[in-house]
Amino acid sequence: MSLLEVRGVSRSFGGNRAVDAVSFEMSVDTLAIVGPNGAGKTTLLNLLAGQLHPNQGSIWFRGQEVSRWPPWKIARGGMVKTYQIVRPFRSLTVEENLGLFARLRGSVNLDEILLETGLAEVRHHPAGALPFGFLKRLELAKGLATRPDLLLLDEPIGGLSRSEAAALLGTLANLKAKGVRMIIVEHRLSEILPIVDRVITLDRGRTIFHGSRDDFYRDSAVRTAYLGSSDAAG
Amino acid sequence: MTGPSAGASPPARGWSKIGRGLLSPFYLAAIAVILVFAWLAQGSPTSFFALSLVLASIYITLALAWDFSSGLTGYVNFGLPFFFGLGAFTAGYFSWYGNRDVPFLLLAAIGVGLFGGVLFSVPTLRLRGPYFSLLSLLLPLIAVDFVVTFWTQLKMPTLGYYDLPFLGNSPGAELVILSVANAVLLTVFILVKDSHFGLVLRGIRDDEDAVSSQGIRTWPYKVIAFTVASGVAGFSGATYGMVVTYAGLDGFGFTFLIFPILIVVVGGMGEITGSVLAGYVVILLYQYMFQAFTEITLVVFTAATIVLVLFLPRGILGPLRSFIRFMRTPEGP
Repeated sequence: MSLLEVRGVSRSFGGNRAVDAVSFEMSVDTLAIVGPNGAGKTTLLNLLAGQLHPNQGSIWFRGQEVSRWPPWKIARGGMVKTYQIVRPFRSLTVEENLGLFARLRGSVNLDEILLETGLAEVRHHPAGALPFGFLKRLELAKGLATRPDLLLLDEPIGGLSRSEAAALLGTLANLKAKGVRMIIVEHRLSEILPIVDRVITLDRGRTIFHGSRDDFYRDSAVRTAYLGSSDAAG
Repeated sequence: MTGPSAGASPPARGWSKIGRGLLSPFYLAAIAVILVFAWLAQGSPTSFFALSLVLASIYITLALAWDFSSGLTGYVNFGLPFFFGLGAFTAGYFSWYGNRDVPFLLLAAIGVGLFGGVLFSVPTLRLRGPYFSLLSLLLPLIAVDFVVTFWTQLKMPTLGYYDLPFLGNSPGAELVILSVANAVLLTVFILVKDSHFGLVLRGIRDDEDAVSSQGIRTWPYKVIAFTVASGVAGFSGATYGMVVTYAGLDGFGFTFLIFPILIVVVGGMGEITGSVLAGYVVILLYQYMFQAFTEITLVVFTAATIVLVLFLPRGILGPLRSFIRFMRTPEGP
């Protein structure tokens, strides 16, 4: 049984079809959803997280249809989204930010999460006082604190410097090695692709490529359209 | 699966600060102030000073309820005076029909407040922001209007319920009862604020969607907080009714909205302890100013509030709190 199954999901806003009949399955791998601005990547992620509901099609998570579930129920079921624009609880400390979710799905080791995400040294700091790079890490840590079965990461390295992004990608690679399953929406392809197994490319809401990372590299149309040059994917 | 969160490691308790608040200087100061004022008033238990402290204590109870619900969640509730009035009316009703046992009247007021709180909170807290605030203002107004319209049919005495039993033998004794109640409430609310429940309420204030998107259904938390606040407001209303020995429509008045909010603003929203300290300052100042300059007291108070909100948005103790937190926070990243 697939962990996640998306069957012909569509979502329109007025006359604009933001996501158009997208289908895919996911089991144990790490998936990247890529595409140009307006391709429907974040809309698709919001559909998975329950923040939007599909007009057509259905979403199945761990064998249950979750298409109409509210976000809290989907997250409690094990599929948790982090935000592109960080949303920390600014009046709470880093530790409290994690503690909020720490008992939802059984016990978690917050110390380990804080170490893993490089937040141990600022655990007692109010989140509102942290610089952006730490807030991006906190966003990831909040997701991990829920002990997710599947983590939906919306542009986890967006806005970070190259060195900050490299550090966060190292963390994601470690998480992957430990068995954390992820769907990553990201613009910075050359940096994100090395840690994913499969890629879905969206364009104007439609799937134009779905395959392994290696196939993605070999697909000349995709490379030309989204990477701009033949070696951009690194 | 699940990497760093998996495994048999024990639940992390580091984030849990239950009990820490009881060691904070602000909590200890608030308890000390309650005790000192209760003790001071015993020297002249029927004086204007003692009466003013009784009034301050009643407003502090109401302010604690408002801060616990609205201050922690960020949901501005204009409906609390309704439950205050309801508590006074409940005490008035039962004493009018022969039951003049003070503990019973207080418990009855709490019960009616809790019940009314559930009825009010369940539908209204599905709304957010200004929509909730507007409804919290309108529903009590409609309820009061209903009572006024059907006053005769409801067989209520023309002037409201009067001749309620005294809360205590003297203002000094009443102050002791109110002080104990406020100390208990303060302690409970501080414990709850530091608990996971309080953490969720504070998370709702910061970003409710983010709380919800990571697995917490926020609505029950809000309903519980506002129901508890309504019960406390009912208790507060009953004490007021038994201090003035009367329960009329003025119990639903906006005085019982404005002063608690003013106290919370002065004390710092969501800080809980600030409501106690600010409650004495605001009410004693108002009482003595009202004696000296009756006509301009409200004007001065309004102006002072505007100045306060502009320059000290986290209350008069805000800078001190920030300083203490700064000193306690380790070196920055």
